[in-house]
Amino acid sequence: MGEPYVHPEVLVSADWVEQHRNDPKVRIVESDEDVLLYDMGHIPGAVKIDWQGDLQDQIVRDYINAEKFAEICSRSGIANDTTVVFYGDKSNWWACYAFWAFKLFGHKDCRVMNGGRKLWIDQNRPLSTEVPQYPHTQYKVEGGHEAEIRVFRDVVLEHSRAGKPLLDVRSPKEFTGEKLHMEDYPQEGSLRGGHIPGAVSVPWSRAVNDDGTFKSTEELKAIYEGEVGLKSTDDVIAYCRIGERSSLTWFVLTYLLGYPKVRNYDGSWCEWGNLVRVPIAKGA
Amino acid sequence: MPAALDAIVSELGEADRQERIELLIDFAKNLPPLPDRLAEHKDAAHRVEASPSPVFLFVELEDDRVAIHADAPIEAPTVRGFVAILVEGLSGASVEEILQVRDNLIENIGLPEILGMLRVRGLTGVLRRLKAEVTRAVMARASAGPAPGTQPTV
Repeated sequence: MGEPYVHPEVLVSADWVEQHRNDPKVRIVESDEDVLLYDMGHIPGAVKIDWQGDLQDQIVRDYINAEKFAEICSRSGIANDTTVVFYGDKSNWWACYAFWAFKLFGHKDCRVMNGGRKLWIDQNRPLSTEVPQYPHTQYKVEGGHEAEIRVFRDVVLEHSRAGKPLLDVRSPKEFTGEKLHMEDYPQEGSLRGGHIPGAVSVPWSRAVNDDGTFKSTEELKAIYEGEVGLKSTDDVIAYCRIGERSSLTWFVLTYLLGYPKVRNYDGSWCEWGNLVRVPIAKGA
Repeated sequence: MPAALDAIVSELGEADRQERIELLIDFAKNLPPLPDRLAEHKDAAHRVEASPSPVFLFVELEDDRVAIHADAPIEAPTVRGFVAILVEGLSGASVEEILQVRDNLIENIGLPEILGMLRVRGLTGVLRRLKAEVTRAVMARASAGPAPGTQPTV
């Protein structure tokens, strides 16, 4: 083993999850891009929390309010002191998104299962289609961390003008403006293609291995510090199309590399690419 | 609408949310494998572009009926389930019947309710591609000359 992650406790292994899945202090949460996966089979005892159906407000483009969040935790058997372990498809990118949303509401003990759903299945670990029921809790939102981890467009504009580090974690063709969404996804959602001036392209997937696990500290440093030139003391903003892929980058920089000031711009390109008169850069 | 598709629409339309999820998973699990002769042609030309998961569509004309074969990964059950609905509901239908299937099929089988609006967009692309492939097959046949047994027009 090489250099450890700065906050290794936020990442748990599939072994750890198997050992703790009946621990009443631990709740396993599946969050996927494909909403049917949980019902096809999940880690026994895991509950499903959907980024779209559960965590997003259905009217305003925003997250749910504190009251709704408390309801979701209560019905999922999550108390304020529960260790919540997220996992999911697509190298845990939706799991990181749910993790980030939980931090918006200040949930203390959040973790990610390294390798996500794919590694669990590839290792032939047990799956269940039974939807568990847990006693409801009295969850109380104790003030969130929104100001530290989330950023809105006006601040992003100042950040861009000041030349501070901005990471665009979308695919290269989205960065150059050739595409409005990842290759093969429906090309819609924003009126202009390109990136926020000053942003550097570092696709989110560079932080993960083929088996869905995160790359080592050395490999991550080689990318974010060696290539991009970030320093751990930098004030960094990451964005993508709607803030989901960038929450994985946020997770990597904040917890694995230990940067204290990283924020996710969840408005991301779907907002920026539609805003009137904001500056846009095109090309590589 | 072809009777087979009509039956699927009714079944899914009458199902509640959880039943609909289970039906869609059943469709995903029961998509017939591609025949060997097609399996080796899973290439860019047969891939549906507007889908986040690799979906492959093969359309063949047998007289005036359309044969549909398709493949999508089981790791993407939503799109695989929808593809299976198209295969089961529209295989053997006529060209006209397929071209008349409207995009609101996705709403009629209640998918936005279980998937959310953002996730159903890719599915519309699969249906459009199917119709485009059927049109292409008809054009290809027309340009290859009259089918055997038909009278050429003078």
